[in-house]
Amino acid sequence: MTSYLIRRLFFGLVTLILITFVIFALVRNMPGTPLTVDLAELDPSRQISQEDLERLENIYGLDKHWSLAYVQWLGNLVTLDMGRSFREKRPVTEVIGERIGPTLVLSVTSLFLAYLLAIPMGLFTTVRSGRMEERALSTFLYMLYSIPSFVAALLLLNLFYVRLEGTVFQLPLGGMMSMNYTELSFTGRIWDRFMHMILPVFCATYGSLAYYSRFVKSNMEEVIRQDYIRTARAKGVGSVRLIWHHAFRNTMIPFVTLMGLTLPGLLSGFVILESVFTWPGMGLLFLDSITNRDYPTIMGLTLMFSVLTLLGQLLADILYAFVDPRVTYS
Amino acid sequence: MHIGSPLNNETSNIYFLSIFFLFCVLILAGCSPDTPVAPQEEPAPESGDFILGDLIEPFDPPSLKKLESTVEWIEQPVLDSIELLRRRQEEEPILATVDEALRLHNNSPEANRKILSALGRLPDKDADVDYDASITRYIAADVKSTNPLMADSTAEFDVVELTGFGLFGFDWNFNLFAAEESVVSWHTSRDRMYDKVIMRDDLTWSDGVPITAHDVVFSFRVIMSSRVPVPAQRTGTDQLKWVEAYDDHTLVFFHKKPLAVNSWNIGFSIIPKHIYEKSIYEDPTLQNSDYHVRYEKNPMSGGPYVIGRRTVGRELVLKLREDWYTRNGKKIRSVPYFNEIHFLVIPEDSVALLALKAGDLSEKELTAGEWQNKTGDERFYQHNTKAYGLEWVYFYFGWNNETVFFSDRRVRQAMSYAFDHKELLKVILYNVYEPANGIFHPTSRWAPKNPPPPYKQDQDKAEKLLDDAGWVDSDGDGIRDKMIDGQLRRFEFSILTSNRTDRVAICNLLRQNLAEIGIICHVRPLDFTVLQEKTLQGHFHAYFGGWGTGAYPDTNENLWKTGEGRNYVRYSNPEVDRLFVEARQEMDDRRREEIFGRIQMTLYEDQPYTWLYFRNSFYGFSKRLRGYNFSPRGPYNYSPGFSSIWMPRQ
Amino acid sequence: MSKPPVAEMKASMPPLNEAGQTTASRGFWAESWQRFRRRKLAMSALFFVAFLALTAVLSPAIVGTKPIMVRYKGNIYFPAMSYFNPRWENEIFFRDGFRMHYSENLKAKDPRSWAIWPLIYQDPYRRVREGEWPGHPGNESYMPPNRHNLFGTTHPGVDVFAQMVHGTRIALLVGIVATGIAAVIGIIVGALAGFFRGAVDMVLSRIIEMVMCIPVLVLILALLAVLDTPTIWHLMVVLGATGWTGIARLTRGEFLRLGQMEYVSAARALGFGRLRVMFRHILPNSLAPVLVPISFGIAAAILIESGLSFLGFGAPPPNPSWGTLLNAGRSNLQMWWLILFPGIAIFLTVLCYNLIGEGIQEATDPKLQQGRK
Repeated sequence: MTSYLIRRLFFGLVTLILITFVIFALVRNMPGTPLTVDLAELDPSRQISQEDLERLENIYGLDKHWSLAYVQWLGNLVTLDMGRSFREKRPVTEVIGERIGPTLVLSVTSLFLAYLLAIPMGLFTTVRSGRMEERALSTFLYMLYSIPSFVAALLLLNLFYVRLEGTVFQLPLGGMMSMNYTELSFTGRIWDRFMHMILPVFCATYGSLAYYSRFVKSNMEEVIRQDYIRTARAKGVGSVRLIWHHAFRNTMIPFVTLMGLTLPGLLSGFVILESVFTWPGMGLLFLDSITNRDYPTIMGLTLMFSVLTLLGQLLADILYAFVDPRVTYS
Repeated sequence: MHIGSPLNNETSNIYFLSIFFLFCVLILAGCSPDTPVAPQEEPAPESGDFILGDLIEPFDPPSLKKLESTVEWIEQPVLDSIELLRRRQEEEPILATVDEALRLHNNSPEANRKILSALGRLPDKDADVDYDASITRYIAADVKSTNPLMADSTAEFDVVELTGFGLFGFDWNFNLFAAEESVVSWHTSRDRMYDKVIMRDDLTWSDGVPITAHDVVFSFRVIMSSRVPVPAQRTGTDQLKWVEAYDDHTLVFFHKKPLAVNSWNIGFSIIPKHIYEKSIYEDPTLQNSDYHVRYEKNPMSGGPYVIGRRTVGRELVLKLREDWYTRNGKKIRSVPYFNEIHFLVIPEDSVALLALKAGDLSEKELTAGEWQNKTGDERFYQHNTKAYGLEWVYFYFGWNNETVFFSDRRVRQAMSYAFDHKELLKVILYNVYEPANGIFHPTSRWAPKNPPPPYKQDQDKAEKLLDDAGWVDSDGDGIRDKMIDGQLRRFEFSILTSNRTDRVAICNLLRQNLAEIGIICHVRPLDFTVLQEKTLQGHFHAYFGGWGTGAYPDTNENLWKTGEGRNYVRYSNPEVDRLFVEARQEMDDRRREEIFGRIQMTLYEDQPYTWLYFRNSFYGFSKRLRGYNFSPRGPYNYSPGFSSIWMPRQ
Repeated sequence: MSKPPVAEMKASMPPLNEAGQTTASRGFWAESWQRFRRRKLAMSALFFVAFLALTAVLSPAIVGTKPIMVRYKGNIYFPAMSYFNPRWENEIFFRDGFRMHYSENLKAKDPRSWAIWPLIYQDPYRRVREGEWPGHPGNESYMPPNRHNLFGTTHPGVDVFAQMVHGTRIALLVGIVATGIAAVIGIIVGALAGFFRGAVDMVLSRIIEMVMCIPVLVLILALLAVLDTPTIWHLMVVLGATGWTGIARLTRGEFLRLGQMEYVSAARALGFGRLRVMFRHILPNSLAPVLVPISFGIAAAILIESGLSFLGFGAPPPNPSWGTLLNAGRSNLQMWWLILFPGIAIFLTVLCYNLIGEGIQEATDPKLQQGRK
């Protein structure tokens, strides 16, 4: 097991270096530099001269070839220095750290809600397999699953923001809090945050809810065909107990694997949703840092996502071995 | 020797003493006062290889006495911009009462005039003003730096204008003047080689340290240091030969060449010397060291406001400095109209409009679409009203003059004739903008006296011009082509534009119009950075862009002179090059106007751009605001600009 | 993107069939088709996709401003074909100065000409103006749905219905081409890794992991920025080149499993070459489970394309795309027709591909059949 772990970690490290290298090469070879954006905003009479531009590039190390810059970036990384954001002139860790909270609020809430609702729904559809109500629910979930989150977001905004404008049902257009947030009382603040969360959380949840409940169902169907279930049923085990105790517990393996794989999703943010709802999370930061060519921030985020993705896969494999004694890594 | 020269620490004191001694001897001996002036101070403990002011060419300023004896000074205006505006408004008729104006819906030029006339006025007396009021302004992105030298975006300039110290300003007609709040007198030499400014002696930074001429000299040297990453300040400032502080209040700016626009180069931003003179050697970026981060968060203010509270990415609050307008209980300057200025950061435009409607914002710039479609309802007029002013910002298609397609003037003219200007103005732009015919707006005094008419669509003419230029459909595929260097070249090009729906729509109209006359045009929306990079490098056939006006017409020089920085379209006409040089050297305003008129006419003939339209500045204002006025650079970027806005007592 | 691409999530599920079909493939496919046909939902989804394909092919005949067929100066032309490719515009109309306005010019230039017009006179690229077509008042900006603009208009008065009909081409093409590329890469990589195992497997698995970690958004933005004239085809290639990991992992699993079957050992023992064993013996038997993520992959590709267009990075203009319409709706929330119609179109298409995928899964997996019976 230990040797397996060490091997996996080693390969993970190699993969990480490769990924960051590819992304670094890509973003550094996109036309434009962080300075180009600054230039575009300049007053026409303050247009920067070519010499000054070169001086600035030199000061910020942009005149170096990207491969050298990559080595330097890697070197700094070893000393845990991710560099400073060009856009915000602050350390990248600080910039990213600020966005973790909002993203987690969104992803953890939606994941929690999804699991909370998906398991009973999945079990229900298994038990009632083939009946009217199961078909209706399954079809409905299937349709939910196929609605793109941005379409849902726009339609909901049209309903709750435009059509219900002026009523008590009106929900905010975006952001995490109102303009007058600082003037609100404590409960007022909580209510304000809650109102801002409703639509983004809903849009982030319904798709995975549909997915997870189908996942539960398909695994359950697999399990209840097994002989031991038939045996249990023959021995007269009650159907609730049968489903919960005998069958569901045996679907835990793929479920745990799935949890491992959703780990990076918790922090990677929702690019489109965050952009629709101007939710100041990771996804929005990622989009902004790409359009602004904020190399250190892009690299910081890429590194984080990759580490999480690889860790998630490793975790899934280990958990798999943990819950299923048939699997061993030696 | 010169303070910008690389003295090192060990020798500087001895050097300094000996020079000083030599200087005294020479003065006593009555020798030629052309002698170098000794630097009054050279305290900085230099570490590393940072050299303050290494971009300044060595220069020995003459003594003040020598200067005074040889130079013929012309007095220049020292003004209070609010007074200037008040004098203008005294002559203007009042078209409506405040109540009438507040009830109006701004849906006609007439209504706009009434609203501006009634609500744009300054207070009749101080008692009308609510000096405790605060205003909430809108910025789309947070300021990256609070250091005036690092400012490079609109939001930063808006903040720095209020917290920074400045000597000069210009009014809505782009007349330059020294600000009464910081300057006693300003003189320019007849040959425009020198500017002499006497600063007031009651100026202080927000920590109480006096602002002196040495701060100005220090700032000049910082700006002219190659290792300080100043994005916007060096251009213009680098046209100065030297700035000398003869005492704490007397400044002389030395220019390199005798040019008409020299005085525009002396308005660079000023930072406190006592804060940065040592630390700059440790951290020339002025941003990275802990010490600098501290001053970045709580910057020293030299202007009327100081940064109070700040939540990054959300809000920035400026508080009025009492010690700016009073000293020892005595009022030394007029009191600014707001006690607090809030800047709210709202990245999404639609959210900002919502905040304005809800009364959370006091002002917001509107897009044409918002002006036309989203601000006509009662909900908007409940808390707000709106107004517009003509802005000298024009938009255009730029044709790369170095490509095989657009090197021929006839082809460029054909493009201008092929385009459906009417559809653009009436449909795409909601019929709220004026057509553009060239680089100066017809109401500008630099425009030709008989301005040429804007182009109108005439596809027959366009086709004839293309035929004449040799672009015909010779291979019978319905697309124009031409033999170039033995190869048949099809007329197929791409036009670059920034990735915004309205701009893409404009380019799509061009694509459609050109397809009709046998030209294939691909529209390429790009993100801002790529567009900027491609235009800068000349890697394009055509692009859609816009330019704002500089404060003086010579800023056009870098657009049109051969090989200049903003000449993205690679336009080159020796006649135009010559006219710009002539204009720069011409001191007589009337003749300068004539020269610029000729430049505009030549450009109109050459059509390196297809000029499309002038943009208005549209603004929504809270009904509680008064005193807003529009200049050709919008309501803020001139003097008095923002400082004329006030809130009445309720 | 926000949700993990469907194909990958599906692929991460444990393989659902263990027994494997060692019987003759042909009978297996025919039988699967029989089973598929019995599933009403999957069949209606298949019909809907066929309907979309038909719409895409016939789009210029459904809505356009160019005649489908015209007899002009004694010859027959098909000007509407130029909606597929602008270069197919007949040059005679250029020579005669039509300037792409057929309705006004045909009769004026040749009184004996006749034309067959599309069902609806609207254009996906431009505003139809007043006086262009008898009885047509011309489009205005932001018109809600009405008699002349079935689905309303966008800002410079371009008809939404026309854009949606012509946008079908892009939606279908993106799904099929991108997933086709992904399938080819995925199957090859997965097959190699599963067949050769050992070092080859190790290297290829690392590559799969790497591609999984590369953000598609960066790739696409980088590509759009670097290319001189990026087209929708480039977008499809990028989507394909990044979307194959799920298919590869599944194929690899199948190959690993089938490689241990007796019939493969037998084939090897008979001395068949590696390629022959790979492609003749293992691949056909591993195709059925791979078809499932391919169908889901088409849905995912359509989602990603519309998402990118929604963010403003998708199909370059003037290609009408459903996502681009949504993008316009985003800044004009009160104009519901910019959101609802393209939203429904994307939803239905994605739903149908998902249903088809599901149908294939159930039709080709004998165990599920057993369970049902």
